[in-house]
Amino acid sequence: MTVLSLFTLPFVALILTLWSSSAFASSDYHEHLLLQPLPQSSLLASFNFRSNTSQQSFDQQHFRYLPRALGQILQHAHTKELHLRFTTGRWDAESWGPRPWNGSKEGGTGVELWAWIDAPSDEEAFAKWITLTQSLSGLFCASLNFVDSTRTTRPVVSFEPSGGHSAADQLHLLHGTLPGEVVCTENLTPFLKLLPCKGKAGISSLFDGHKLFDAAWQSMSVDIQPVCSADGECVVQIEQTVDMVLDIDRSKRSRSNPIPRPVPNEQLVCDTSKPYNSDDTCYPLEKTNDKSWSLTEVFGRSINGVCPLTDFDGSSDQSVCLRVPHERGVFISDGADEIKKEDGFTRCFKLAPSVSFDLTIPQQPVNTEVPLDEPVLHAERTIVGHGQERGGMRIIFGNPSNTSAVDFIYFESLPWFLRPYIHTLRATITGHDGVLREVPAYEIVKETYYRPAIDRERGTQLELALSVPAASTVTLTYDFEKAILRYTEYPPDANRGFNVAPAVIRIVDPAHNAPIYIRSTSLLLQLPTPDFSMPYNVIILTSTVIALAFGTIFNILVRRVVSLDEAAALGAQTLKGRILGKLVAIRDRLRGKGTKVD
Amino acid sequence: MMTKTGDQESPQASASQVDQPSVQRAPPPETPAALQTRFRVIAAFWAVIIFLGFPIWWKTTSIYRASLPIEEMVDWADGKACRPVFPLEIHLATPSMQYFEAQNLLRTTQHTLDDLNEFAAHHLRLKLTNGSTTAVNSDDSLENAQTPAEETADTALTVQLLPRDGLASPWSELHAAATQLDIFYPPSQVPVPSSSNSPLSTFIAAELQRLYGEEKATIAHILSGNTAGLDSTSPQLAEDIDRRLRRSMKYAETYHLSFSLFTPKSEPSSWDIEAAALSPISNFTVDTQVQLYANFAPTAPKPEYDESEAAWTLKKEDLSAFVNAAEWPLNPSIGNGPTINFILYVPDPSQSPLIVKENRASSWMVPQWGGVFLLNPPLSNTEQGGLSNPSHLSQDSLGPAFMTFSHQLLTLLGTPSTPASLPLRLQTSIRIRAATLLLSASSTMGSLARLTESLPSIPIPATVATSVSTTLSHLAASCAHLREGRFGAALASARVAETEAERSFFEKSMVGQVYFPDEHKVAVYLPLLGPIGVPLVVGLLKELKRIAARRKAKGAAS
Repeated sequence: MTVLSLFTLPFVALILTLWSSSAFASSDYHEHLLLQPLPQSSLLASFNFRSNTSQQSFDQQHFRYLPRALGQILQHAHTKELHLRFTTGRWDAESWGPRPWNGSKEGGTGVELWAWIDAPSDEEAFAKWITLTQSLSGLFCASLNFVDSTRTTRPVVSFEPSGGHSAADQLHLLHGTLPGEVVCTENLTPFLKLLPCKGKAGISSLFDGHKLFDAAWQSMSVDIQPVCSADGECVVQIEQTVDMVLDIDRSKRSRSNPIPRPVPNEQLVCDTSKPYNSDDTCYPLEKTNDKSWSLTEVFGRSINGVCPLTDFDGSSDQSVCLRVPHERGVFISDGADEIKKEDGFTRCFKLAPSVSFDLTIPQQPVNTEVPLDEPVLHAERTIVGHGQERGGMRIIFGNPSNTSAVDFIYFESLPWFLRPYIHTLRATITGHDGVLREVPAYEIVKETYYRPAIDRERGTQLELALSVPAASTVTLTYDFEKAILRYTEYPPDANRGFNVAPAVIRIVDPAHNAPIYIRSTSLLLQLPTPDFSMPYNVIILTSTVIALAFGTIFNILVRRVVSLDEAAALGAQTLKGRILGKLVAIRDRLRGKGTKVD
Repeated sequence: MMTKTGDQESPQASASQVDQPSVQRAPPPETPAALQTRFRVIAAFWAVIIFLGFPIWWKTTSIYRASLPIEEMVDWADGKACRPVFPLEIHLATPSMQYFEAQNLLRTTQHTLDDLNEFAAHHLRLKLTNGSTTAVNSDDSLENAQTPAEETADTALTVQLLPRDGLASPWSELHAAATQLDIFYPPSQVPVPSSSNSPLSTFIAAELQRLYGEEKATIAHILSGNTAGLDSTSPQLAEDIDRRLRRSMKYAETYHLSFSLFTPKSEPSSWDIEAAALSPISNFTVDTQVQLYANFAPTAPKPEYDESEAAWTLKKEDLSAFVNAAEWPLNPSIGNGPTINFILYVPDPSQSPLIVKENRASSWMVPQWGGVFLLNPPLSNTEQGGLSNPSHLSQDSLGPAFMTFSHQLLTLLGTPSTPASLPLRLQTSIRIRAATLLLSASSTMGSLARLTESLPSIPIPATVATSVSTTLSHLAASCAHLREGRFGAALASARVAETEAERSFFEKSMVGQVYFPDEHKVAVYLPLLGPIGVPLVVGLLKELKRIAARRKAKGAAS
């Protein structure tokens, strides 16, 4: 950099150059909303926003759909592919079936971030990763800056880049989780600002922080990846999704009166076959009628037209779809067209621009249900054991299929203060017959990638390639030891426990092209917690002991030793002696008075 | 004698025997040896406390404060340590003159110049070159500026004196791309050695004075601390300089230009920015963005419709609230250098055209931040009967906006408007920047000195002391370079000084708070200090009392 050249530049360079340009041909924008009622009066709303920017525009920092703030962060941190997830709640796979997007757009509870960073060495990749997390932390108002080396792992087989990357890049995958992060409105606002229509038009106008974070489960994701076509032209694609499962009854409560009221007795449908059924005892039956709901009731607002940037070609103008049986009556507002799909369950709506759209489903008896697929794998992870010193981890995998085995990768990143003993890894299997048998772990575990923890530097990383036979349940257990932290390492709410990040399961199913991801719930680990007033107690106790010893020695050294009768004589001259003398005198006078009266 | 004392004592003894039972008798007076021992014990305890306890306590609880050259720092801030001077070396090339003639001309011209100059810190020094006509072109001066370790002073200007017949009076021509001033003069005007003045030398002096007038005023303005500049500067020029200094961005190695298209509705949503964009500029990074649905801040005043103008107008005083900083994504770019923002705002069709009320302008500058341009594209009728903006802004419609932006950029960078020659303006910039950085680093030093003196509880780590000494040495070097006319080197030193000064001032560990307040510590250690302190203090008091009593007794006895 030279000073002079800096000043030369404006004079020579601020000339408008004339090219004819068609650079925006490769940028486009799509948005899509799928609404699907789920059992137990839940409603899955799945929002998707996708836009492309040509690689050239991205490199020259001409931002149109891709947000400038995010684009600059990626360029600054040399990040080629980025995946960021904000999740709260738990997906109830037993009631709701397989996850939306096959789990590829959700993260573990809290915040999860993984990225492919272009760097010549591991150290530089980590330095850029820190830059990336710091910048994203500011952009999304999340505590991502706490993703340090202890929370960062480098998974080997659990993730694969989904974008097209040039072979010249030296990509490093880094993965970080914050299971304790509370996702809330302050994360939604920056998320909305990244959208071209900013929540003011199109389906994004439905977002309301009060409803979104009141959901039983919700997941926000941001994915940025390069996508290359066959002829080598690349675009940078940003895809933002929001998936949420709303409880219809809960969402329909008005905000001014949110206290749930019990159903009046006469409206309860009771199971009269129960022996205890009486006037005051009722076993409620499942509703035969589907709930009635509308967009305005559930989301608190209606869709404000369409985002005018959406490409109006092909089917992408049908931006709202609903999955209910075709015989179900649905009322829509004027100006919108309904298109029923051939599968018998999906209908899509073509919205009129700049007219608000609402959708109402009246209460109707249920005749047919939208079929829900069975999830490929059930997984559950819990901490077992008791006491403050040791514990155990138990992971249960259930394969519901009667015909085929499931192969998958199980990935765990454990904090350093949880020290697993991998040699205690045991596997039990429950087959068709329901008999529990213990099998050697190597029969189930095909491959292991294990990177042990270093205290205060990095956590344990465990990746297992597993196979669960058909119609069986496999239980893996291992023991661990709980470390004792230093006094200052405890958080203010130490007695709440420490969050352990959810495990990630990647199912490589030949039937599916894209892998299926399942995440377990996050765990709370109770560590031995000291009494935090201890240092003060110790200080006070030792102080007292020292003071006692000192006082004794000092007194012996300083005091004068006299005989008992001499002490009494001395005592008369001291303050105590004088007070005693006065007291005696008063007593004598009182006695003297008493004798006079007598 | 003996009986007398016996008489004196006996009533006392008999009295005590009357008052108290006979078993009680006073202990014999303590031996001097015992008193001595007790005195020694107490003295020993207190000696340990005073000479061992207190120093250890002091040492372990005190905050590390590296010693800073406070006086020197304050001197710099007050301008006592260095008076920046700007001696400009101007070469006088007189290829067609005799040596003594040239000498004479030089002498008279220098004399006239010195008479004209009223700002001592900035003065022009004339020097004869040995007739070589090679002018220093701008490329050379670039290199000169880059090599700080140059021993000779930078040549500010070469004045080429060329005789030409048929001229009534001399006239000058400034090279636009070189630091050269050609002066054509009629040969008859060559001063005769005896004369102390000549039209030619007066002319040269006046030309030079004119060339450097603005620079001189600017530097005087900077050095005098934004109050009064030179007396002779016209109020107009002084105001211009003041405005320019206030508007211009802080000096940085690189700037980031951010062009944004904002519109409150959805259209226009694209612009020919790539075509209209600036050709690749080194040292500037450029980014562009399109932001739809960008509303005004709710507290900002709304535009009003003006019948006479047939346009929506914004009041001039409301322009500061125009940019909705809370919602518009105008965060500074990542990376080095400050961001200069340029906003192209296309108003809502219902509020188009939008102009500034007072002067019907469509653009304005935000000092040290960037510029705003209101673009009112021709509206078209939509199918629904309303008006709408075009969905795409073509290159032609962007032309005026970008002309405005380029003008605003120059103003924001603080380039002076005169003289016409580009290399001369660059040199002027170097001098102005050097002066600014020198002053800013000096005042940072002063602030740091005041800060450390006013807050005795903040720690001063050794790194701060190192930074301060680096700053001071570079400040001194910069000042010396300035004195000798090596402005490029001076700027390089001043930049180092400025960086180091900022680093020392914003040292993070200096703001660390004391975790435990003093009351807290006292409360915790009271169980120790109480039981130990009370016997010690009581023992000391008793001993002092005894000593005082003995002194009194001695005094009474003698």
